[in-house]
Amino acid sequence: MTEGDYRHVYIVIEHEEGRLLQVSLEMLGEARRILDDFNKKYTSKEKVVAVLLGYNIKDIPKTLIQHGADAVICADNPELKYIRNTIYTKTISQIATDRDMASKIEPEYATQFKRPRYMFFAADSIGRHLSATVLAHLESGLASDINKLVVGDLQITHQNKTGGKPLTYEKTLEMYRPDFSGFLWTTILCLDNKNPAVSRDYHPQACSIIPGVFEIIQPDQNRDGKIIEYTPKFDEQDLKVKIIDRKIIKSEIDFDSHKTIVSFGRGVKDSPEQNIKLIEQLAAELDAQIGITLPLSKRPFSVSQTVDSTYLIPDRVIGTSGRKVNPKLYIAVGISGAMQHIAGMKESEIIIAINPDENALIKDECDVFIKGRMEDVVPVLIEEIRKQKQVIQA
Amino acid sequence: MDSINTAVIVKLEPDFSEGNVSYNPDGTLNRAETKNILGPHSAIAVSAAFYAKVKYGAKISIGTMGPPMAESMLQQAQLMSNADELCLFSDRIFAGADTLATAEVLKAGVQKMQGKMDVVFSGHRASDGETGQTGPQTAWKLGMTFLGHVIDYEINLESRTIRAKRLVRMQGVYDVVEEVEAPLPVFIAIDPSYKPRFNTVSQRLAYEKYQKEANERAQNFKQYLKVFNAIQIEADPKLIGISGSPTIVYKVERIPKGKAARQAEIIDGSNQEQIRKVVVRLRQSLSTAVIK
Repeated sequence: MTEGDYRHVYIVIEHEEGRLLQVSLEMLGEARRILDDFNKKYTSKEKVVAVLLGYNIKDIPKTLIQHGADAVICADNPELKYIRNTIYTKTISQIATDRDMASKIEPEYATQFKRPRYMFFAADSIGRHLSATVLAHLESGLASDINKLVVGDLQITHQNKTGGKPLTYEKTLEMYRPDFSGFLWTTILCLDNKNPAVSRDYHPQACSIIPGVFEIIQPDQNRDGKIIEYTPKFDEQDLKVKIIDRKIIKSEIDFDSHKTIVSFGRGVKDSPEQNIKLIEQLAAELDAQIGITLPLSKRPFSVSQTVDSTYLIPDRVIGTSGRKVNPKLYIAVGISGAMQHIAGMKESEIIIAINPDENALIKDECDVFIKGRMEDVVPVLIEEIRKQKQVIQA
Repeated sequence: MDSINTAVIVKLEPDFSEGNVSYNPDGTLNRAETKNILGPHSAIAVSAAFYAKVKYGAKISIGTMGPPMAESMLQQAQLMSNADELCLFSDRIFAGADTLATAEVLKAGVQKMQGKMDVVFSGHRASDGETGQTGPQTAWKLGMTFLGHVIDYEINLESRTIRAKRLVRMQGVYDVVEEVEAPLPVFIAIDPSYKPRFNTVSQRLAYEKYQKEANERAQNFKQYLKVFNAIQIEADPKLIGISGSPTIVYKVERIPKGKAARQAEIIDGSNQEQIRKVVVRLRQSLSTAVIK
């Protein structure tokens, strides 16, 4: 491997019928910040490259450039109108390894170019699977659900990667991933095997990025960028996969038209059925919509058929893996305050938390912290709300 | 008209269900106290294969990469599906694999199963790793068309095609239910919301019959079990285990507590007077019209 083989960060853009998904711009923003530092530190001119597939998407590249892309590689083709895994995977992989494309991005780096240095996908329904198959095709490493990225020169000692000797890995992407609990952060690296016994290159260093985490940069109408057309080559066999029908379904859970949201988390666990009834009553008093935290939407947490299907569903999840909300009043019941959840509700005007543990992270994210078990506190809260309503009516 | 061969790749995972899972005081999983079971998403994939058995008389092979104790999980999966073959891919050198190196073992393993596969199922994601990458990466290595988020499917045995419905969530826009038609073979990652339905009388009869048979088979599951090591599945040693893994875990840390975003007023939950004041404040923040 030589230094010049790997250049630039390639970002796989997502849109729905030409409508950009927010996460695409968030990825561009983060790539812009990372590469600006990178180019300064290493006196290089590597680029933020947006990879855009679809049909009738001529208007998108401009927006991508305004939001931080130096170049947009655009494959505009009727066969790419909707995402089909095989042809998307092959097209993205072709683009990522195409030296012609690289020479149009930055001629100076073209002669040696083999692959992108870094590659970003969205950690959503689309990007999760696409990233997996693209990286299987490119035979390199992929970290999923990342919410922090750092580039560093790292000293690594690893039995397999370095043969047990300390070696420096320059320009390594540290990919931070919160685990299922939301309390631990695992840093994943994708490293070449420098150990001569098992020598092997692993590039690009790739990850999927949690939507809603990174800041979008202020669009700049005057930013310059290259728009590069790419003509994909399809295998006849792959086109036999056909999309017969597509139906749009709207979420049945409407958070936006409610001034109050009452959400609950694992704190209901001691007697879930009764506790969820309490939440229902509280929500009814406040004309509130009911939300949940991510872990409750997952299979292992089960209360009863009816309760599960009404409340413990992905549509009600508030957080990075669900909806972002900003009601006037947010009541968090039995929620510890994992960062994935906070990201979805921190814009609320007033936040009240009910939790027995004063050390819970939610304490730092709320305006009023009612210390106590929900079984004890919620009934009193309901009673007080009812009393005060009567005062108003009287 | 030939029926079809199906495979399911499953995973042994910590049992996260309430009452069984154990957490450390700091909120992390207590692995020593939490037992391992057939992962819940794996179980859904098994039920999707069982649907093919009931409806099309499909043959089912179930495979996993894991330690010897994963045997009993395969038995559990056989009980659910009347599986015809159970395969455990077990070797010390598989240890430490990331998703790419795991997919390599599963690919080689599926190729060692009886018959050429028409449909391979995987779960949506594991409850512990939660990457959701291993399924699609195995599909890619097998050279099969990958269909993710599948909520329903029907197979046409004559034309050897599948019609599948997929639930695609477009975050911040809307959700889409997409219907896809593809020639077999395909690899399906089944959506958590999948529920098999057996509508006709003959399907229900077949269901009863296979369930009864599954009970008998699972009691003698070792007759159906094959254990393979790395050499037996002919996996390339350079592509499996630690040496075949591009990624490493560099560090694990507790997510640092950030600066307090808000200064909380702390209320004693057992003090009704204080709660009364909270409600006054809450009323102020909302317009009185809302609290009717």
